[in-house]
Amino acid sequence: MPPRKLYFENVRVGDELPAMAKAPIDRVQLARYAAATNDYNPLNVDEPAAKAIGMPSVVAPSTLGLGFLGQLVTDWARGGQVKKAQARFTRMLWPTDTLVCKGRVSDRWGEGGKYFVELDVWAENQKGELVVRGTVLLKVFYSFEDETRFRTGQPPLIVTVPRQSILAAPPPPPPPRPSVGKGKPKPGKAPATKKPAAKKPAAKKAPPKKAAKPATKASKPAKKKK
Amino acid sequence: MLDRSAVGRTTPPTLNEVERGAIRRFAEALGDYNPIYFDAEYARASGYSNVAAPPSFPISFAAGSDLRELVGVPARNLLLGEVSFEYERPIVAGDRLLVTSRVSEISDRPGPAGRVEVAVIEDEGRDEEGQIVFRARRSYVVRATREV
Repeated sequence: MPPRKLYFENVRVGDELPAMAKAPIDRVQLARYAAATNDYNPLNVDEPAAKAIGMPSVVAPSTLGLGFLGQLVTDWARGGQVKKAQARFTRMLWPTDTLVCKGRVSDRWGEGGKYFVELDVWAENQKGELVVRGTVLLKVFYSFEDETRFRTGQPPLIVTVPRQSILAAPPPPPPPRPSVGKGKPKPGKAPATKKPAAKKPAAKKAPPKKAAKPATKASKPAKKKK
Repeated sequence: MLDRSAVGRTTPPTLNEVERGAIRRFAEALGDYNPIYFDAEYARASGYSNVAAPPSFPISFAAGSDLRELVGVPARNLLLGEVSFEYERPIVAGDRLLVTSRVSEISDRPGPAGRVEVAVIEDEGRDEEGQIVFRARRSYVVRATREV
């Protein structure tokens, strides 16, 4: 049976990946994972060694949770290519932990015949605590037709799709810090309290770019007088 | 204590032959029975040139680099805080990858219980033609131990 595929045209920002529940982590899995990664860190496989340094038991390698997230993504993104993956480990993993992996489409875009889908992914333990979270960038075909073109050596289907996250929520410009340069060369005692008070309103007024410069100039002397 | 002079330290390239059996055992250890990791024909129909390696498979190359030699602290005293991968193309069975690891950063930053030491290691895998296949970045913090 030919594998089913995931195509760009069927993906929407906000789509949720089907949650994936893993079987509880046990020590046999830790032994197999140690062998598979050729990493025999005693804290992962040697109970007395782990207890000797004050741990309640062996601990699972964090990268095991990353592997589970890889499974979540690969199961969903059939035929998609993982181009980038990044993960931050927020909590230790223990034997008997039962993880549920989840994910959501955070962005998608198409440019020059290449199509990308970005995902937020994370895993929670049986207490609902976050153990790992990350992002994944996938490259996919636009459609079955696009894939067929690729396989027959034809040029790709070109559909330009701007990044949706950018359209939905423009990131606020970084607050300008013109006052920092002026204040710092002279480390006086008095300005210390006044400066933060003057900076905050200036930062709030900054986003409308055209008005930013006159507004900050006008507001600063006013605040200082008060 | 991390070795402050470790920044820039690089391991010699290590040849990693990506074997089908190693991929199978890695996928089995994860409990991931996706046929792209087991069945070459299915993998080809899915767009891979051979049985594919799971996305986190480069972890198994990294074990070749001895952390104590690289940063002066053994693996059992290091906690992996963050990891990232970038793939030029999928890793598949039959690949012969030359992997190097380089210490890119040794620093300390404020943590909830005082300052924590951080070591960042960057790995790179190239095929025999010298083409880059993957890059990885591992960020470790030194585990607080009872002696400290």
